[in-house]
Amino acid sequence: MTAIYKKEIKTYFNTLTGYIFLGFFVAITGIYFMINNMSTGDLNYASTLAGSLMLFWILIPVLTMRLFAEEAKQKTDQLLFTSPISIWGIVLGKFFAAITLFIFGVAITGIFPFILSRFGTIAVAETLNAMLGYVLLGCSLVAVGIFISVLTDNQIVAAVGTFAALFVLFMIDTFTAQMPITPVSSVIFAFILLIIAAAILYSSTKRLIASIALIVVGIILIPALYFLNPSVYDGLISKFFGWFSMISRFENFYAGVFSLADTVYYISFAFVFIYLTVNVIEKRRWS
Amino acid sequence: MIEVKNLTKKFGKITAVDNISFTVNTGEIVGFLGPNGAGKSTSMNIMTGFISATEGTVVIDGHDILEEPEKAKRQIGYLPENPPVYGDMTVTEYLEFVCDLKGVKKSERPNMIGDILRTVRLSEVRGRIIKNLSKGYRQRVGLAQAIVGYPDLLILDEPTVGLDPGQVLEMREVIKNLGEKHTVILSSHILQEVNAVCDRIIIINKGKLVADSPAERLSDNIVGNRVYVEVKADKEKLEELLSSAPDIEGFTANEKDGISSAECEGVEGCDIRETIFGLCCKEGLPLLVLKPVDMSLEEIFMNVINGSIEEEEIAAEAALQTENASNDENVITDDEADVSEEITDGEEAAETTDNIENTEEKEDGENDSDL
Repeated sequence: MTAIYKKEIKTYFNTLTGYIFLGFFVAITGIYFMINNMSTGDLNYASTLAGSLMLFWILIPVLTMRLFAEEAKQKTDQLLFTSPISIWGIVLGKFFAAITLFIFGVAITGIFPFILSRFGTIAVAETLNAMLGYVLLGCSLVAVGIFISVLTDNQIVAAVGTFAALFVLFMIDTFTAQMPITPVSSVIFAFILLIIAAAILYSSTKRLIASIALIVVGIILIPALYFLNPSVYDGLISKFFGWFSMISRFENFYAGVFSLADTVYYISFAFVFIYLTVNVIEKRRWS
Repeated sequence: MIEVKNLTKKFGKITAVDNISFTVNTGEIVGFLGPNGAGKSTSMNIMTGFISATEGTVVIDGHDILEEPEKAKRQIGYLPENPPVYGDMTVTEYLEFVCDLKGVKKSERPNMIGDILRTVRLSEVRGRIIKNLSKGYRQRVGLAQAIVGYPDLLILDEPTVGLDPGQVLEMREVIKNLGEKHTVILSSHILQEVNAVCDRIIIINKGKLVADSPAERLSDNIVGNRVYVEVKADKEKLEELLSSAPDIEGFTANEKDGISSAECEGVEGCDIRETIFGLCCKEGLPLLVLKPVDMSLEEIFMNVINGSIEEEEIAAEAALQTENASNDENVITDDEADVSEEITDGEEAAETTDNIENTEEKEDGENDSDL
């Protein structure tokens, strides 16, 4: 893992990606800081962070697009996957390299609250808390970017794909607001989820009987639940998509509340996407 | 060192590698020969654990590549078809990264990298960025990468492709030297190359193993024995002479300036040089030249491949017939038919390999007695 980690860090600075990322990151955050804090005299740095979240749309793809797409294109993945290190080691090495650069960028912008503290007392704990949330959110988005990078051997496709995925993740609250909330639509939605789950089960295990059994159980359970306890279905669709809403999880951090649940959420979100990345690589080698 | 058993790889409906088995012992240099698309690279990718096999196992030094991948991979240095180099690193940086990957101790690194750079003759470009190097140098960087950590087994996929003739010779020399310390498996579609470098040749075609034998013996196995003879006599006389010998299956005779020459094909397992010498003595004809004809590897290659195609056609016909026969009957006999088919296939294969081995042994024996 350390071999990959060191190599990735080195490559970031060999290929200018690292400088571009850091320069852009600090410059844009600085502009936000000027507008939000300096010119208005507002001492709340957390609101600057919340306002500059859009920056992730562009900067996360810059960090992650190359990681696996370029290895596949240059066929250097043959070196990595035939060397005596595990696939987990490779993926984690790349992940940690990307988040190191990201955290380094955040650390540089840590100057801004210091500047603010010269003009008055700032809420240190709250600011640090907001920065922690900001870092956690960024890291889980990096995991999404890595996952998309492994799906293609073209950096541009990886970048655009990551951009689109982040866009959806950011806009998910707006989308779910438009979703129907009637119980019937929720039941239909539950059936759709059931079919998708069965399809995934079949495609990954090739066990037809198990998938059919899952569908049969679902067909019995979903209506039964509807008649026994209809309140389960209240707003199921928005509840489901709300689970993917990463921005709403940031609100606690922004408001100055440390939330263990949200911390765990971000870490597990990152873990799931790293797990998926490893899985895609494994599966490709088996197909 | 490496044991490959019943290796099969299917990509959807295409079978890229079809039931290949062989063992390579420590210290051998083995050539993997086959036309483009024969399944060489796929086999090598499976042997090195880059992709998995549909069926079959690869065991390297007692470690299964799928069950103990890290231990098995530690024994291998792999040069894939495209050298897996990072364009934005310098040669030394790159080799240091590979040392990291393979877990080479920090204290051993400077010496090891220096040695390797000398071995593959890269010392003069060690500080240059890889993307600025020519194809030949990049290929050598790829080879250097494979040698890092001095693995026992080197697997090289078309190591001389894209090099100019001078570099090809140099590369062969390098590989030959490496063969003194390492076990080497290299693939190629160039026959001379394999002949020049390898102790043993494995030929695969359309995913199937069609021949596996020591390099110098390959010609005996497939050619049988052919002899070129020059006699100071006219053509008719020579033809008469040759056709009188029962050992000689066929010949083509020519005449030039009163000297007749002929290429004779002998019956398998019998040295017709003695027969020809005897006949000439009896007739009192001056024998000018008498030498065995080595078939070029190209000819052998085509022979082997055509042979395997014919075998395939025969097998396909047989399969078709048994299928037709079993279609009329019930399920049990269907199974039986399959079994019997397998048995006959197996027997055929066993017979052919037996033949090859027998002739080898015989000729060995004869050579020994000659000495």
